[in-house]
Amino acid sequence: MKKNWRSSALFAYSLAILAFLYLPLLILTLYSFNDSRINAVWTGFTFKWYIALLHNQRVLEALTNSLMIAAVSTFVSTILGTMAALALNRYTYKYKAVINGLLYLPILIPEIVMGLSLLVLFSQTSVPLGKVTLILAHITFCLSFVIITVNARLEGMHKDLEQAASDLYATPWQTFRYITFPLALPGIVAGALIAFTLSIDDFVISFFVAGPNSTTLPLYVYAMVKRGISPEINALSTVLMFATISLIIIAQVLQPQHTSSKKEKE
Amino acid sequence: MRKGKLLVAPAISWLIFFFGVPMLIVIAVSFAARTPYGQVIFNFTFANYQRFLEPLYIRIFVDTVFTALVTTLITFCMGYPLAYSISKLPHKWQQPGLILVMIPFWINFLIRSYAWVVILRSQGLINTLLLKLGWITQPLPLLYNDYAVMLGMVYALLPFMVLPIYVSIEQLDHRLLEAASDLGAKPFTAFRKVTFPLTLPGVAAGSILVFISSLGMFVVPDVMGGAKSALIGNLIQNQFLSARDWPFGSSLSIVLAVLALVLIVLYYKAIQKQEGGTNNEEKLA
Amino acid sequence: MKKRIRLALVGLFTIALLVMGCGSNTAKQSVTNEKGEKQVLNLFSWADNFSPEVLAAFEKKYNCKINYDVFANNEELLAKIQAGGAQYDLIQPSDYMVSTMVKLNLLEKLDKTKIPNMKNIVKPLQAPSYDPTGDYSVIYTWGMTGIVYNKKYITETPTSWADLWNPEYKGRVILLNDSREVFGMALKKNGFSNNSTNKDQLDKAFADLKTLAPSILAYDTDTIKQKFIAEEAWIGTMWSGDASFTYKDNKNIGFVIPKEGTLIWADTFAIPKGAKNKELAEKFINFMYEPKISAQNYEYIGYNDPNEKAREFHSKEFLSDPMLKVAVNDVKQGEWLKDIGDGLTLYDRYWTELKTIK
Repeated sequence: MKKNWRSSALFAYSLAILAFLYLPLLILTLYSFNDSRINAVWTGFTFKWYIALLHNQRVLEALTNSLMIAAVSTFVSTILGTMAALALNRYTYKYKAVINGLLYLPILIPEIVMGLSLLVLFSQTSVPLGKVTLILAHITFCLSFVIITVNARLEGMHKDLEQAASDLYATPWQTFRYITFPLALPGIVAGALIAFTLSIDDFVISFFVAGPNSTTLPLYVYAMVKRGISPEINALSTVLMFATISLIIIAQVLQPQHTSSKKEKE
Repeated sequence: MRKGKLLVAPAISWLIFFFGVPMLIVIAVSFAARTPYGQVIFNFTFANYQRFLEPLYIRIFVDTVFTALVTTLITFCMGYPLAYSISKLPHKWQQPGLILVMIPFWINFLIRSYAWVVILRSQGLINTLLLKLGWITQPLPLLYNDYAVMLGMVYALLPFMVLPIYVSIEQLDHRLLEAASDLGAKPFTAFRKVTFPLTLPGVAAGSILVFISSLGMFVVPDVMGGAKSALIGNLIQNQFLSARDWPFGSSLSIVLAVLALVLIVLYYKAIQKQEGGTNNEEKLA
Repeated sequence: MKKRIRLALVGLFTIALLVMGCGSNTAKQSVTNEKGEKQVLNLFSWADNFSPEVLAAFEKKYNCKINYDVFANNEELLAKIQAGGAQYDLIQPSDYMVSTMVKLNLLEKLDKTKIPNMKNIVKPLQAPSYDPTGDYSVIYTWGMTGIVYNKKYITETPTSWADLWNPEYKGRVILLNDSREVFGMALKKNGFSNNSTNKDQLDKAFADLKTLAPSILAYDTDTIKQKFIAEEAWIGTMWSGDASFTYKDNKNIGFVIPKEGTLIWADTFAIPKGAKNKELAEKFINFMYEPKISAQNYEYIGYNDPNEKAREFHSKEFLSDPMLKVAVNDVKQGEWLKDIGDGLTLYDRYWTELKTIK
């Protein structure tokens, strides 16, 4: 009884936090139907921003650029970061502390400094600015975040299972494939989520390393600030938000029921 | 041993090339001077570091660290329970739950911040509601102050706390908790002595990510704080984008990075002590 | 566990599809570019700064493609052009940035014979002080900083910058979030030049601003319009073009140029050194000043049209806009910002200090 009371209080608190996260999105959705271009106060209901959005080639191009860059940099940084985290956690080597420190450094440097210094690097090595430099930069700033997140998982992981596997003559690969990887997977997924989140909404670093024809959505939105961000962006955000949520629900519903997952974990 | 090197090599070489090399440039610039039109000239000088010692800039640093600490504390108080609840969801719904928490952060940060302005301003959602209910007679000044800045930061950084904590709670061995309660531990005691210490790696990672990220924030103080407060992020931004003083901006960034590194090392030491401490207690019990 | 893997795989697969989708898209585009069937104009400008129809008309007329990339701040533009490696053909620096870029040798001289329509521009704006010979830049949009106020709350029409200091407006004043704008205003209030680097004059301006600080609701450039439309703020400093936008959504808004004079600004067209397609860039500039095109363009972007010949093509509404008219009548009151070089350090020092006042 008491336990029930506790967990429902916790659940209510969490729902409140979720509401806190979604409250601005509610406003944003509402304002995507607002008639005013400047979008300061409510002036009337309209669908026109959604229609305008369909014809706005520039926004749609920026969106595909953003998604492509985020997908590639998430993929690469997650793989590199997971490998590094595994090494940090499982093996000892010389100068481990120094190497650890270096891995954490990129998140300590302000974005603008990183953006400018990368710009100098690319222009000195004559790498033409564009999508490629954007991806290189995004991987660089995502990497540390992935390492920290995956590491948090590995640190709390019991090493007995791996020990047992190798006692049973599993090859290192088998141990990794059947023991370490599945156990670390939630950490890897979390790392990838963080990387994706950082990449999809990065502005400062992206600005400096972007070139012709590689405008991303945040670049586009920030540049609109001087004239006032068009409600088309609200409309786009609304569409993206609902599309993502529906995709998740569909994926959940389509998934076959499993009851044994708890067992697998133990 | 060789495997360790092979695994860590790609990330390290990547960072050496795309981060280490540019950073050498930044360090060099931080000791350089500049022309009236903002071009960097490499005359070795300590002036940029000396300038930082002015009381004005020290105060901004102190204010920034304080804001970052409070932000970290609040995000922890919100993030831990949220992560804990997600880990208590049926297994199938855990990952969707996690993604649900992340979705708001895939929407452009600027327009989310502007939405907060609409909620909090004097004619905003909350004030209108409170006025209608008759709870207040004058709109509350909810925006353009330090509280609004902290709210904005907490809002922006919450996922960095939730994800690492979730990741360590999720792998918690529930048999330990059962054992604790079998031995007569009250739920809160069990949480304090078993759950919390075991999830410390996640707490540490989350706190560090939030703390560091909040040190560099500059959009939130501008939008939510009405650009009335000077935080180190704004100061650095100004050196590059209005004062045209790259050397001073670079030296500020390096001081900031070193300071953050020191704080992180101290924090990790404290955490390790805590972990060691609870282990001993467990042994005694 | 398997479920999770499956979920991750589904995610990856969707992402892969997306990547392939846009990958092939962009690949196709660049192929046609490289084949040279179509010329490309790489334009680097503020967002939303052209009528899309006008851009399309140019693309059609000259059988080319415009790559329109955007920046949000002059200093960002400078950093990027200075670093090199950014292959733009046409950029849009503001007034003082033009002179900075000329001094840093970052701009190409314009071939005026290729831009005959330049003569359509009103006389006072043909050779502004930031580019006195007009060799490097052509003015595009321009405006002035003035006092914006809401007639509902402020019954007496402001005439002087000093009116911002009225204690009745405490907590309702907004200043532009820019050190040169704010100190320029305070300098003008005291009868000095807004390009002053004289320490005594700046000290005086700073002392004044310190007494204004407690009255200030916010420093804001980007969302200042919204703050006045929603009537969060009553009085403040604003650009004429923004005032015109604000007026459209809130008819209580008034705008005046104070008697002490003010700042005048402009965004221009300029061609960076090493531009690959200078000729097309000049064609573009010339195209933008064709009277009919120019009228269509400025009606869309809603700023002052500097093109004299375009007047007959403009709508009555545009020509009678009170905010735009204010700016035209008061050009003589305006002083262009100059690049003050080292002087900026003192501005920044005071600016930072101003922000630490609680």
